[in-house]
Amino acid sequence: MKPTARMSAIIAGLVIFLGLPLVFYALGEAPRRSILKEAFSILTLLAFSLMIGQFFLARSNEALLSLFKPPQIQKVHKYIAYSAVAVILLHPVLIVLPRAFEGGVTPWGAFLTMITTLDSLGILLGIAGWILLLVLVVTAYFRTPLMKRFTQRYRGWRYFHGGLAVAVTSLGLWHAIELGRHTDIAISAFYVSLTLVGFALLARLYLRAHPNKPRMSPVSEGAAS
Amino acid sequence: MTIKSINGCIGCEECVKSCPCDVIRIDPDSGKAVIAYPADCQICHLCRMYCPVDAIEMAPEKSIPVVVPWG
Amino acid sequence: MTTQNHSAGPTRRAFLALSAATAGLASLGMEAWAENRVAIDVDAMSNSDLSTDVLVIGGGMAGLFAAVKAHDAGAATMIVSKGRLGSSGLTPFGKGFFVFDPETETGTIDDFVETVSRSALGTNNPVYTRQVAEHSLDRARELRDWGFFDQTLANRPFMRPIDERGIPLMERVVITHLIKEDGRIAGAAGFRLDAGETVTVRARSVILCTGAGGFKPNGFPVCDLTHDGTVMAYEIGAKVTGKEWNDGHSTRSVNPAACFDSWGDMFERVPATNGVDVHHDLGVDINYRAYVTGNPVEGGPGAPQPTEEIEGGPYVPQEFQHSGPPGGGGAPGKGGAPGKGGAPGGPPPGFSAGSNVGGASAGMAIHKSEGLVPMDARCASNIPGLYAAGDALGSHMAGGIYTQVGSSLAGSAVQGAIAGEAAAEYARSVDAPTIPEARIAGIRNEILAPLRREAGYGPAWVTQTLQGIMIPNFVLYIKKGSMMQAALAYIEELRDHHAPMLRAADMHELRLAHETRNMILSAEMKLRASLMRTESRCSHYRLDYPEPDDENWRAWINIYKGADGSMQLEKQPFGTWPA
Repeated sequence: MKPTARMSAIIAGLVIFLGLPLVFYALGEAPRRSILKEAFSILTLLAFSLMIGQFFLARSNEALLSLFKPPQIQKVHKYIAYSAVAVILLHPVLIVLPRAFEGGVTPWGAFLTMITTLDSLGILLGIAGWILLLVLVVTAYFRTPLMKRFTQRYRGWRYFHGGLAVAVTSLGLWHAIELGRHTDIAISAFYVSLTLVGFALLARLYLRAHPNKPRMSPVSEGAAS
Repeated sequence: MTIKSINGCIGCEECVKSCPCDVIRIDPDSGKAVIAYPADCQICHLCRMYCPVDAIEMAPEKSIPVVVPWG
Repeated sequence: MTTQNHSAGPTRRAFLALSAATAGLASLGMEAWAENRVAIDVDAMSNSDLSTDVLVIGGGMAGLFAAVKAHDAGAATMIVSKGRLGSSGLTPFGKGFFVFDPETETGTIDDFVETVSRSALGTNNPVYTRQVAEHSLDRARELRDWGFFDQTLANRPFMRPIDERGIPLMERVVITHLIKEDGRIAGAAGFRLDAGETVTVRARSVILCTGAGGFKPNGFPVCDLTHDGTVMAYEIGAKVTGKEWNDGHSTRSVNPAACFDSWGDMFERVPATNGVDVHHDLGVDINYRAYVTGNPVEGGPGAPQPTEEIEGGPYVPQEFQHSGPPGGGGAPGKGGAPGKGGAPGGPPPGFSAGSNVGGASAGMAIHKSEGLVPMDARCASNIPGLYAAGDALGSHMAGGIYTQVGSSLAGSAVQGAIAGEAAAEYARSVDAPTIPEARIAGIRNEILAPLRREAGYGPAWVTQTLQGIMIPNFVLYIKKGSMMQAALAYIEELRDHHAPMLRAADMHELRLAHETRNMILSAEMKLRASLMRTESRCSHYRLDYPEPDDENWRAWINIYKGADGSMQLEKQPFGTWPA
């Protein structure tokens, strides 16, 4: 039973977090541009949905914990952190980079204009989200020494990491809906629903948590990297 | 259609400023560029070339028949 | 129509704005006389009152250098432009910059001036021809320092010297009036596109860098240029010249208005310099071919030379006949694309062969040939304190025909710098002007009049009517006395009964109203000058006078406003300054 269930879980994950965004992209009305630009667009869309997917690759997702060992989930969570999050961190550059291969504004000129348009709510949200995401990445990388500084050790770290992730995702989602070339109503609704489910899982975990008695030993469990 | 659509606008106003014919304006509510006077577009693509996020899509057709010396 | 794809639904105000845009679209070509649904409170409009020593009007290549050099000569200088610095007029599209570099040229400057004069059949002013060769290298060096030759878009490199010097710059301000007091220039007035506000600038000296213009033609990026400077200067008594010449660029017969597409990748190119390369590029020869053989013309720019010979047509001196494509031979030399002024009808890179139609730039004369009559070699007009440079100055630098490739952009830079220094010098010699309040109030009323009309003609409709009268090949290009008289009757009708009744519902339409009125006056100038010149020479071709007439027509035509307000024309012999 378990291998089938595992396979189903993997396929469901791929369909929801990679397949559906591609379908929404294909059905979207944003005009197509060069292959390079469209590739960057798709990459960014997928990276964003994988980032939302991180909420489902954590110990908040009990269904998944019943199918896979926590270190397995943690590993995937970590790989996505390295790849998808890198794309999200780089996406402002990916937007301007193709200008190097055509006439018009230079990539650097475009980048400067973009990040100095501070009267735009979407840009402010994006910059705030980007900085928090960077904090999220750096703190996750140095989580072991960091954990010792929290009074509640692992639990404190978990609240910190989860809370930061919620903030980053909220800002990122709002930013994407506000400015995204491809974030039409359909894909926005999809991302919002997915995010809300992810937040709900996390909330359930936190609300249920027993303050003094973690069920398992902190370091080995959970996909909280 | 001339200038055809704007997708992913960040409201930086580069296109508004760089359009020689004052075709594009910023919508005061959304803070984003809108194609306000499409009939005056001369299809020179400056807006597209100045846009930092490549949001502008152009088309070669005019919405009204144009006057040329012979045809 | 949907003009934007937002994830959020349109708000009520956005919806209203879109509806208004749609209504505006409906008025184009559709609504002629209609009620004027004004969107702003005209009586509540403010005026911003500014003053400076030297006012530069226009933000292209000439305006840039005029401002920089006037400032460097010690004058408080201000730029006002109806577009953006380096992104309006023809400057953004000129990619070739002529440089006479004595180290690489085989001939001398004297040789260059003589060659241009031979190609131009005497129509060039050799003083200005020499000037561009003498100063082009210095201007190119400055532009290189500012990064102009490193990128496609001119705004940032142009902003560098302006920012460094802290020169005040007002963009998206449409100047409609020049102010003359006590027989000399006193300032200018206009309005903002982005606010319900008029603008008056008191200035000791004014430099018009307003470019030339056309009839908002299709296929050439000149639709924002409507001879504004020429017309406002004419209104205060300045003399205007060069109106009979015709620029000869063509466009594709499919989607003719798509100038970016017709020019291939030219608009996306990085500007480059080029050396001496003198042509006799007509452009009007393909108009003649179309007139004689029918159309569309296979073998326009970029296409192979048509095989059959056509009898008659515009005269090309033996020395400058070439075997290249018609109107071409302006193929890009090494080092880049031809300039805007380089090769009319010449094939821009990427321009594919196919059926083409002439008159892409209808209403525009040869670069540097039309505009204010220069009184001296320093760009002065006959109004004390009023200067012009670039395409706003009728310097006849190239003559009534395109001669030196890339000299248009270079000429604007060179003349802008010279006019800037001359204007700064003049400004030092005079007191600040005083303009009576009543005069300013009167001008503001004239500026805002189209907004106050309860009903009137839509500027877009009048423009389209004007295009229908002027642009046909048999009116503007293959000229005949009878046909031009007929066209003149139409234009006089527009001048007398439509220009005074143009309506405008918002600031965008207010601009269109003033532009339309300027184009009507320019059309009258073109017809009257073309009727007067009873010969064919360079880009001016008359079917009823097909040969050059050296006995009577080694002369330019100057146009000015007579004491009774009517348009007056006079001859000025080649090689002389105005009396």
